[in-house]
Amino acid sequence: MKPETVTKWLIRLGSTVALLAVLTGGAVDGVAQESGVVRAALVTGALPVDDPNATMWNNAAPTVFPMSPQVHWPERIQQVTVQDLTVRALHDGTQLAVLLEYEDPTEDPDDAAAIEFMVGDKKAHFAHGQPMLLVEGGPVNIWYWKSRDNKGVDLWAKGFGTLRPHEHQDVKAKGEYANGKWKVVFSRSLVTDHPDEDAQIMPGQFINIAFAVWDGRKDDAGQVIEKGSQKAVSSWWYFRAEPPPDYSGYVYAGVAAVLALGFQFVLIRKLKEGQSA
Amino acid sequence: MERALIRPIVIMGAMYAFLKFVLPNIPGSAEIPASLIILYLLLTLSGIIIFETLSAESKEAFWGPLQRFLTGDNIGRLQPLRYGILVLFPVLVGWQTYHATVPSDRPPAENRVIHPAPPGEYTGLANPVPKTPENIMQGKGFYAAFCSPCHGANFDGKGPAARGYNPPPANFADPTTIAMLQESYLFWRIKKGGVGLPIEGMPWKSAMPRWELELPDEWIWKIIMGEYDGAHQAPRTWE
Repeated sequence: MKPETVTKWLIRLGSTVALLAVLTGGAVDGVAQESGVVRAALVTGALPVDDPNATMWNNAAPTVFPMSPQVHWPERIQQVTVQDLTVRALHDGTQLAVLLEYEDPTEDPDDAAAIEFMVGDKKAHFAHGQPMLLVEGGPVNIWYWKSRDNKGVDLWAKGFGTLRPHEHQDVKAKGEYANGKWKVVFSRSLVTDHPDEDAQIMPGQFINIAFAVWDGRKDDAGQVIEKGSQKAVSSWWYFRAEPPPDYSGYVYAGVAAVLALGFQFVLIRKLKEGQSA
Repeated sequence: MERALIRPIVIMGAMYAFLKFVLPNIPGSAEIPASLIILYLLLTLSGIIIFETLSAESKEAFWGPLQRFLTGDNIGRLQPLRYGILVLFPVLVGWQTYHATVPSDRPPAENRVIHPAPPGEYTGLANPVPKTPENIMQGKGFYAAFCSPCHGANFDGKGPAARGYNPPPANFADPTTIAMLQESYLFWRIKKGGVGLPIEGMPWKSAMPRWELELPDEWIWKIIMGEYDGAHQAPRTWE
């Protein structure tokens, strides 16, 4: 075999190895921090939509979100009861169930909690999708629960003063209070017939999620302390319904390994031919 | 293994060690990105190949052992190493392909610009309020009432309402925030708030109120004065 041919082969080999190394380096640089993401685990069997204490919730990894007093617009509040919110989620491919857990020393009829999603492709401001000055925003879909009614309310908003319940109520919710702790389960089908008003949840896709909690305790004058815009809020975080396992990566890897093996085989055979010649 | 092969391996190893461990520690230098290290190593390798193939003898001395190693021709004790490499290479290619093609399960990367460019009308405005001790004091009072819940009584971004907000409230004591900015920039940010940010600032995430709806301009200018004074910073100016 001529040295030129060997050189050519080796250059190809070298560039393949270099390409692989660059890919490895890039992959390491691109790893993002895993925080602030709710991952709805894919499960089989009926979702525990009515049971915040079901053992099935152990299949979902909890994510803890810090909460702040709502200070973005009046009426503001300087202090709130709930400091942290623990969130778990499950889905079965058609239904979604989200469990919120938080500490609240008193059980009150006005205790309430809510989940907020963006609707559509446009980014929406986390404060009820209020208009932004330089960016065209979209609406938000809010799933609301209040202890007194112990049911879900499906709401929509695009800016302050626009909050209204949907004509179609797709959200269910149920809360249980025990040992100074609220556990509230929200549930809805992943997709609905109203993509302009409801968040549509596609497994595998990351969407934005935010939370709010009201401690419905009353002050000495008999006024509810946390109500309306006076609530604990979170920022936008991420939510994803986990997709079914995808094994295509193993197939591609197998094909690539076989190609590499074939390349080696051809290279060595060529080299051997060169030696015997 | 023959000397002609050991030398390039040693050179490559030494080059890698130099780029990875020595160069970043030279004063004034910095960590070198992985992609740049690969580029330098490729250049080194090209140099070695050119050097080793300058004459017919050196060419044979360089390629000969490689060729014999790959074909397993009289390599004796190196045979297990050869099999190892022949097995490892396809495995490595398969492993890399898996990682390159597997769908990402990470949330989208967010490259938020912390201090985006302000609109033209908010560049170069001078603070119209005289810098008197009384005005600074008044500004600090407004700051305590309106800003400190998030930005903190110590101007460090650690107010009692800050914990849940992402992005976190700015830390004015940090030299990379207001010390790098002009007063007119702060005037814009306070007046228009989070919703006034351009798209690269991700306005949908900011909890900063749009204070122009609640506070007169004069108060905002006083707050700016109080902020700089309290955080022991000076506004950036045109030198």
